[in-house]
Amino acid sequence: MINHHISDETLVSYAAGALSEASALFVASHLHMCERCEERAAKATMIGGCLLENAPETALSEGSFDRLEALLDLPDETNDTRIDVRSASPDLSHMPEPLQLLLGKDYDQLPWKSVAPGVRQFPLPVECEHGEKIRLLKLSPGFVTPMHSHHGHEMTLVLQGSFSDESGRYKIGDVQEADGEVDHQPIADTEEDCICLVVTDAPLQFRGLMGKVLQPVLGF
Amino acid sequence: MWVGTVLGQTHSSEAGKAPPLTTDHLSGLLSSVGSEKSRSAYRTLFDHFGPRLKSFYIRSGSDEVLAEELVQETFLQIWRKAHLYDAAKAAASTWIFTVARNIRIDKTRNQNRLVLKDETFFETAMVDDGDQDRVTYQTELMGVVREAIAELPPNQAEVISLSFFEDATHADIAQRLQLPLGTVKSRLRLAFGRLRSKLSEFE
Repeated sequence: MINHHISDETLVSYAAGALSEASALFVASHLHMCERCEERAAKATMIGGCLLENAPETALSEGSFDRLEALLDLPDETNDTRIDVRSASPDLSHMPEPLQLLLGKDYDQLPWKSVAPGVRQFPLPVECEHGEKIRLLKLSPGFVTPMHSHHGHEMTLVLQGSFSDESGRYKIGDVQEADGEVDHQPIADTEEDCICLVVTDAPLQFRGLMGKVLQPVLGF
Repeated sequence: MWVGTVLGQTHSSEAGKAPPLTTDHLSGLLSSVGSEKSRSAYRTLFDHFGPRLKSFYIRSGSDEVLAEELVQETFLQIWRKAHLYDAAKAAASTWIFTVARNIRIDKTRNQNRLVLKDETFFETAMVDDGDQDRVTYQTELMGVVREAIAELPPNQAEVISLSFFEDATHADIAQRLQLPLGTVKSRLRLAFGRLRSKLSEFE
């Protein structure tokens, strides 16, 4: 049961096609896990349909339909760059489809890099806009992530295990969106590693001595 | 701003023109393209949506020539994918919007495309006759959405319009309108909240 969902404003921008690639990947991943948000997104998309249906008209050039019609019987040579996940092995069905497509392998086969005691990361191969980062983070049970706050926006999606912080408990499929004012200290709270998909649009600020020491190491 | 003039007013001044096609009719046409490869239905859809899509692409930064190319590409995809359209799940305009939106995303991003979930959400097997109630229901839902958009306060309509037509991120909008980021987010939230409450009243 998913208790924490994508915010309205993020969902509307997703439906509008107005999110960065990294954020759109994040939202699409949650939507693959959450039927409720999938339906909310469908509602937001209806705004686009309605605006299009009633949009002003700009005249097309002469003969534009004839040129189109000439193309209809040509074979479809679209170069579909999407990989067929159904044939991929091992079975990746526990991963959201956008991550299956992007990674093509399971979480435990990724070259994780240790960035702090109990924290490993894998940056995703997604083109990012200035200052933005998308990565997988793996928190080992029993380690406390240094207290940090956000200047920008941070979105976290739990893919495996669970974590807790001052604001509550986040389990598989749950989303946490945090803005500048939030100070938090997440901790993996079961025996299992907690794997999260995390998008940040500005560097995190670590607090206290521990944070200051780790800041350059973590490279957040 | 389009949104101000979007609903109900675009056709009123065009005396002598045929009345605009209804949501229901448009969805029926797209279903015919899907099930029978009907060229006449396709032509009617092109005449209706082509000039609107051209505006859509120009508004998101394309010049005239590119906008025409993108309209062609959109309609080529409509021809090839219409068999996946399910009128019980979405109005034709919503489905066509997702095709156009994804083309716009492809053009502005220089990399392999990641699947957006709703691309498949609206696609299933063809509607059978028993689904007519659900098709009608979709048309009614669009009516509610139209009404909700028409009633948005101008400052909410503006952020919606910038998002959908100009693919502006929250930060882009904040910069362009000289507003704090939090204000942009709350306007989007309010606009969507209003729509959702109208839809839930209806459901």
